[in-house]
Amino acid sequence: MNMNIRCQYRLKDLAMASLLLLASLYPASQAFSQDDEDRFSLAIVVHKGSTVENLSLQELRKIFLADQQFWADRSRIILLVRAPKSEERDFVLNTIYQMDEQQFRKYWIAKMFRAEVPRGPKIVFSTDMTRELVVAIPGSISFMDAKEATDDVRVLRIDGKLPNEDGYPLK
Amino acid sequence: MSEPQFNVLGFGDISYISRDAGDPGGFAVGQAVAHITASLDDSLSIFGEFSLTAKDSSQSAAIERMIVKYSFSDLFKLSAGRYHSPVGYWNSSFHHGAWLQTTVSRPEMVKFGSKIVPIHFVGALVEGTLTNNNLGLSYMAGFGNGRHENISQAGDAGDINGDNAWMVQLNARPSRYYGLNAGIGFYNDKVTPADRPEINEKTVSAYLVWAKESPEVLFEYIYSTHDFVNDSSISGDVNAWYLQFAYRLQGKRRNWKPYARYEHTEVDDSDPLLGDQGLNYEAAILGIRWDFNPYAAIKGEYRNEEYDDSGRENNFRLQLSFVLAKL
Repeated sequence: MNMNIRCQYRLKDLAMASLLLLASLYPASQAFSQDDEDRFSLAIVVHKGSTVENLSLQELRKIFLADQQFWADRSRIILLVRAPKSEERDFVLNTIYQMDEQQFRKYWIAKMFRAEVPRGPKIVFSTDMTRELVVAIPGSISFMDAKEATDDVRVLRIDGKLPNEDGYPLK
Repeated sequence: MSEPQFNVLGFGDISYISRDAGDPGGFAVGQAVAHITASLDDSLSIFGEFSLTAKDSSQSAAIERMIVKYSFSDLFKLSAGRYHSPVGYWNSSFHHGAWLQTTVSRPEMVKFGSKIVPIHFVGALVEGTLTNNNLGLSYMAGFGNGRHENISQAGDAGDINGDNAWMVQLNARPSRYYGLNAGIGFYNDKVTPADRPEINEKTVSAYLVWAKESPEVLFEYIYSTHDFVNDSSISGDVNAWYLQFAYRLQGKRRNWKPYARYEHTEVDDSDPLLGDQGLNYEAAILGIRWDFNPYAAIKGEYRNEEYDDSGRENNFRLQLSFVLAKL
């Protein structure tokens, strides 16, 4: 008898605790989806005339590492990278290169030293400069905050997703 | 691309050496090296590397590399000129760039003027990368002048015996595991040293590298076999390898990178090319690198080494190395 009562109390406690937990999670999950919308998302942009529409994340890494230096139409890939101390550059170093500043610098110096590339990436100093050069250079590829991507550049799908879609890998 | 674009890199180093045997120590200016690269258009590039090396009482200037490359695609690039021989890893990855390498000095088997590995090669090379796979496979195949009659020199003015050297190297750098690099290569030549008949030389090289710095692991192995062209019963082998381990510290100490390396070179006494050159070698090395500036480093290195069973000796080396680059 006592054991039954104790069991009932435990079940009640458990149900109450679950309800409290759900109630506490509900606003948090709403807040999370709001955060998700506001989250930084990196757009990979190319010249409007490019025939490329989609790259896998692995292909993107090869291009950014200059292990792939030509597009499928055999035109030279021109990589534009933001100068240090920008959110976009930090994001690219963390997610695509998986290097810190020192490793990034050494990587390119070593690449030039081995004569694998004639030069390092072109350095750009602002989103406007990135946009202007991508518009002007047919084989160029670069990146910017997705919110700042405009119609004069082509935003690539990465792993089949655009920056505003769920599952986009560069968020 | 409408007009040629130029890029310049420079490397240099200054060392202090203290020895308990052999040559006296002291300060030494290492090599001062300049690289000039020019992209003449999207496909054609020219790469030049020039060095000034301190000798006893003078400096010697040299064209270390001069490469004219035409890139048809990622898969097929054709070039001609003077190269670092694509044999093994260290020789073409660091070479004159003391700042690039973690340690003060190169492994003995690929030191400047090495007789074990043909350091330079003059000829033509095809190379390429297979971009449609995640293994990062690439290849190199070269054909050109073999060694000079002074076997530590390249045949800069032509192949001295008319039997050209050729070489192939395969390499994998999986994109999923940035830092992993594995390769295997083969080098073939007929060598005619100044003081002996023609000798067949075949060299197999292999390496496995984890180049991310925490940790950094470098393993490289060279196996060579030599025999007289006219009497193959007189032959001998060379086995040379090193294993290097380094670890860049984390957090506030990440400018510091301790390292260790073990080297071993063994040459058969019967080897007709190298058996009488006193090239047996063993060394244990401990050191630390301090990157006090993004473009400069100070390295301190203790070496315990033995040349050709002549007794062990100790030395300490301190090196300031730097790169001049705009990136």
